[in-house]
Amino acid sequence: MSALGAVFWREARLAWSGGGGAAGPAAFYLAAITLAPLAIGPAPELLAAAGPGLMGFAALLSVLQSAERLYGDDFSDGTLDLYALMPMGLPLLALAKTLGQGVATLWPLPMIALVGGLMYGVPLMSSLMLAAGLLAAVPALVLLSGFAGALAAGVKRSGLLIALIATPMMVPVLIFAAGAGRAGFEGDERAVANLLLTVAVSLGTVALAPFGIAAAVRSRLG
Amino acid sequence: MLSYFSNPQRFDGLARRAIPVLGVVTVLLLGVGVWLSFLASPPDYQQGDTVRIMYVHVPAAYMAMALYAAMAGASFVFFVWRHALADAAAEVIAPIGAVFTALALLTGSLWGKPMWGTWWEWDARMTSVLVLFLVYLGYMALRAALEDAQQAARAGAVLAMAGVVNLVIVKFSVEWWSSLHQPASVIRLGGPTIHSSQLWPLAIMALAYTTLAAWLVFYRLRSRAILQRARQLERRKLQAARRPAATGEDGA
Repeated sequence: MSALGAVFWREARLAWSGGGGAAGPAAFYLAAITLAPLAIGPAPELLAAAGPGLMGFAALLSVLQSAERLYGDDFSDGTLDLYALMPMGLPLLALAKTLGQGVATLWPLPMIALVGGLMYGVPLMSSLMLAAGLLAAVPALVLLSGFAGALAAGVKRSGLLIALIATPMMVPVLIFAAGAGRAGFEGDERAVANLLLTVAVSLGTVALAPFGIAAAVRSRLG
Repeated sequence: MLSYFSNPQRFDGLARRAIPVLGVVTVLLLGVGVWLSFLASPPDYQQGDTVRIMYVHVPAAYMAMALYAAMAGASFVFFVWRHALADAAAEVIAPIGAVFTALALLTGSLWGKPMWGTWWEWDARMTSVLVLFLVYLGYMALRAALEDAQQAARAGAVLAMAGVVNLVIVKFSVEWWSSLHQPASVIRLGGPTIHSSQLWPLAIMALAYTTLAAWLVFYRLRSRAILQRARQLERRKLQAARRPAATGEDGA
């Protein structure tokens, strides 16, 4: 158990010290939601309607943006070979590693989504639901991009490949997380249903994805 | 059966006999199917002649899914038993499946315009077929990006199997999404259940598409094996040519 904790904190510290921590994804997210109204126009009804969807979509992109680092570096420097030899099994290690980096780099996303939602004129309740939905979605998003990252580890320009592999897998999470905050559902039980479905998909991913990541890592170590 | 044909020579014998047979059957079935569906069957009472798009569209959609199932099944066989032939099958099926998926999307769009007045609708079924197309592309991109053949084979197998779980969840989530989003959409074989004058051409076209896919798979499997054999021979020839040359340089 302590070894898993060590892996978790190693990833978190590495993300903080080497990669700028949460600054990268957060800055990307901010830039994306700043640019979107400039593209679709300032009409308040339009922004309020599109807001939750744009927040979810931009969050997905900013998770993908940092996915390359997740397994690429540890693949090329041999850390993954060592992990594969450890006694507690690769799936648990993959879970600790991926969540470690995910927590360290993605924690601001729900907060930015809350503020961003309010700036787009999404009602407060819906914005809160959206932030909660994104909070629930982050484990699934980071694990799925970890799966794609493990498959594409060490490949030149793996970012493009990761995006192509991971986006179809993120469809359900995106649907439910953005649906939780959809302005039209304000105070509606459909918003709660979407939030619960986000949690369900996320928990299912936490249960299944580590085995997929472990199989992916093993297939790449040959 | 599985291990019987995993012997490359035996498989080659089977493929050599299966390819012409499947080819003839495909051409015959396609000929009959096209004649039935475009000339011999009556126009629909509601859709008129546009119903004929159904005969090329529905079998393509069916093949898109059937080929993904075949690809995932082959990947599973390779992942568990490490039959090289199963991996070759998965690799060869992917582009064929992607083309059938693209065909289903295209013909669906062409059918959608006269029927619903729109080329594209974010309907649950269309969206999930589009996602299926992306999954095929991702699989092919991953295999193309990995240079080591063994790594490409195993990573591809993992991705193809994960895709099954993913596609099922996508199917349900997209259905909930569009039913939450708006009332049930227009895509449905509306009106009466399908009449036998339309069912026959459809069934024959579906059969023709299936034999066409089988033909292509066998054909590509065999040409892939021949290509590998040719590369191997070439490499051996290069090595043989290099050896005396190298000693000659040493001498000089």
